[in-house]
Amino acid sequence: MKLHNAHKTCWNCPAAILKGNVDFRACGQSLEAIRQRIEREGLLIECARLPDLGHFEPTITFEECPEWRPTKYGYLLENMRVMILGIDGYLGWTLALKLGALGCEVSGVDCFLRRKMVRELGADSVVPIYPMEERLKAAKEVLDIDIKFRKINILDREKLGQFMREVQPEAIVHYGEIPSAPYSMIDCDHAIQVQYNNVIGTLGLLFLMKEICPEASLIKLGTLGEYGAPLTGRPLFEGLFPADAILRWRGREWSLGGELTPRDPVSFYHVSKVQDTFNIYEACKYWWLRSYDVMQGVIYGVHTDEVAADPRLRTRLDVDEWFGTVVNRFVAQAILGMPLTVYGEGEQIRGFIALEDAMECMVRLISSPPEPGQYDVVNQVSGLYKVSELAETVARVAAEFGYDVKIQRVENPRVEADYHPFEVVSTKLPNELGFTPKVPLEVEIRRMFELLTQPHIVERIKKVAHLIRPRTWWSGEKRVVETLEVYRPGTRRRRGFKPKLITDRERFPTSKMEEVERAVEALGEGGDGDKG
Amino acid sequence: MEIRDRDFQREVLESELPVLVEFWGSWCPPCQKEKYILEKLREEYKDRIKIVTINVDRNPRVAYRYRIKCVPTYIIFHRGEAIYSDIAAKSEDQLREMIEKALGKIA
Repeated sequence: MKLHNAHKTCWNCPAAILKGNVDFRACGQSLEAIRQRIEREGLLIECARLPDLGHFEPTITFEECPEWRPTKYGYLLENMRVMILGIDGYLGWTLALKLGALGCEVSGVDCFLRRKMVRELGADSVVPIYPMEERLKAAKEVLDIDIKFRKINILDREKLGQFMREVQPEAIVHYGEIPSAPYSMIDCDHAIQVQYNNVIGTLGLLFLMKEICPEASLIKLGTLGEYGAPLTGRPLFEGLFPADAILRWRGREWSLGGELTPRDPVSFYHVSKVQDTFNIYEACKYWWLRSYDVMQGVIYGVHTDEVAADPRLRTRLDVDEWFGTVVNRFVAQAILGMPLTVYGEGEQIRGFIALEDAMECMVRLISSPPEPGQYDVVNQVSGLYKVSELAETVARVAAEFGYDVKIQRVENPRVEADYHPFEVVSTKLPNELGFTPKVPLEVEIRRMFELLTQPHIVERIKKVAHLIRPRTWWSGEKRVVETLEVYRPGTRRRRGFKPKLITDRERFPTSKMEEVERAVEALGEGGDGDKG
Repeated sequence: MEIRDRDFQREVLESELPVLVEFWGSWCPPCQKEKYILEKLREEYKDRIKIVTINVDRNPRVAYRYRIKCVPTYIIFHRGEAIYSDIAAKSEDQLREMIEKALGKIA
C-alpha cells in the first residue's frame, strides 16, 4: 500500500544538502566549482541526517529512506523539526500539539501580540487559554510533548535568526501574522500595523531561511480572500493557472499555465497576504526556497483530540467582530439569545474548513515538501456556503441544544458583492496529498455548542457580547450597523448563485499517480501505511 | 516520461522515432503545468514522435551539453541530431504546431 508521498525523493527532503552540491540554474548562472565537479563525478549530494552516506545520488524515495516513517498522514521524517511562527494562536497552538503527538520536534515563537490586540479592543478569547508556561507544562504532563518555545517577535530578525540556527528547522509553518480584515480597516494606524507586521515579518523570514535553512519548506498561511470573488465567475484556481488555460488577444494566443492567477484582495489585511505571496514567489525563484502558500477558507471550530485532552490545552476562540470568524460568532450569538447577524443580503459565498480538517491538511503539507525552488499553492477548503446558509445551520443545531434562534440581516459594513458567482478549485489536497474532509459542518458546530455552553464559558461570552455586532466600516465610518430585517430560520427564500467546488484532479495519467490514488482510497479513514 | 542524464543516449540519441525533449526546472511554474499537456500529446503522437522531459538541475550534464539557457526549452532530435528547438511555455495547439513543423522537416 502506497502513501501519497511514497514516491517523493531526496529532491523533496529537507535533510538533503543541496546547497554546494547542486548547480541550480543550469541556465547560465552556475558556480564554476560545482559545475566542474558535476562534470567530473556526476551529481551527488549529502544527507544532513545520515552523514555516513557520504556523497550519493539523490534518488532515494521516502518509502525507501529509513528516516521517513509511515503515519496515517503520509510518510513523515522521524522527529521532524518543525518550527511554528505564531505558536500561541488559534491555529499555531493546535498544530503544535498535533505535530507533537505525531512525534515531531516542535519549536515555536510568539510575542503574544494576538492576546494583546484582542484585549486592547476590550475583548478576550471566550475559551480560557493559559499562559504559555502552563500550556507547555500541560503539553508535557498530558500528552508527553516537549515544545521548545521562545518569546520572539518575528520582526526581530536577530533573535529569530538565532533561534532558527539553534533549531535548524526542517519545515517552518508561518502563522505569525495579524489575521483580521476588519482590524486592518479600523483606521490608518491599524492598516499600517497589519501590513508592516505581515509583509515585513514574512520578507525578513525569507532572508533568514535563505541563510540558515534553505532546504526547509515554508508552509505559509494565506487566505482564499486573496483571490476575491471575481464577478466574471472565473474559477478560483489554486494560485497558478492550470495547464490548459490560454490567453487570447487580437488573434494570437499564449499559454497561461503556471502563471500566477489574478488577485483581488478584499481588505488591507488581504493585501498584506497578496504581498506575501509575491515575496515568497520571488524568494523561491531567486534562492530555490520551497513553499506551499495555503489559501485557507474561513476556519471555524474548537476541536482536535489534542486540544480537547485537557482544559489547559484548549486553543483560543474569539467571537468579537475583529477576530471572530463567522461561524464562531454565530454560535456565540445563539448562546446569548441574540439573532445571528448576517451582513447585507447574506448571499455572499465563502469557502470554509473545520479546525480539525485544516490541521490534517497542514500535517500532510509538511509531510510532502515541494521541490527546490517550487512555489506551490493549495486551496484549503472543505465546503462552500452562503453566509445565510451558515446561519440556518447554526440555528438548526442550536435548536438541538434548546436555543430558539432568529436571524437578522444588518447593514453590510464591508465593500463586497452581495450576490456573486463563486467557483473554487481545490484538487491538490484531495488528489495529491490524500486529504478527505472528515468533519461535516454540523458535527463541528455541535462540538462548539457542547464546549461553549459550559457555564464559565457562557459568562465569558456575555462579557464580549457588545463587541460581536460590527462597527468597523470599510468606508472609515464608526457606528454600529443597523438591523434591516429579522426572520425565523427556514422562512427566507434562497436566491443568488449556487457555489461550485471542483475537487477532481487535473489530467495526470502517470502510473505513479494512479498508484497513489489507489492507495489513498485504500487508506480510507485514517488507515496506517506500511513500508514495503 | 521523465528521463535522466544516463538515459539520454539510449532514449533520445539512439531512438528510432524522433524525440521531443522538454528541458524543465522545478522552480519554473509553467514547466510544472506543461507536463499535463505533454502527457496528453505523448499518447496521441506515440507512433510518430517520442515525448520526454528532463530536469535541468537533476541532469546537469545534458543541460550543459545543449547549453540550456532558459526553461522550458524544447529540442526535437532525429537520428541523434537536434533538428528543431524553441523556448517558452506553449499552449496545446502551439505544441502541436511545433511538432508538426519538425516532423514536416523530416518528411
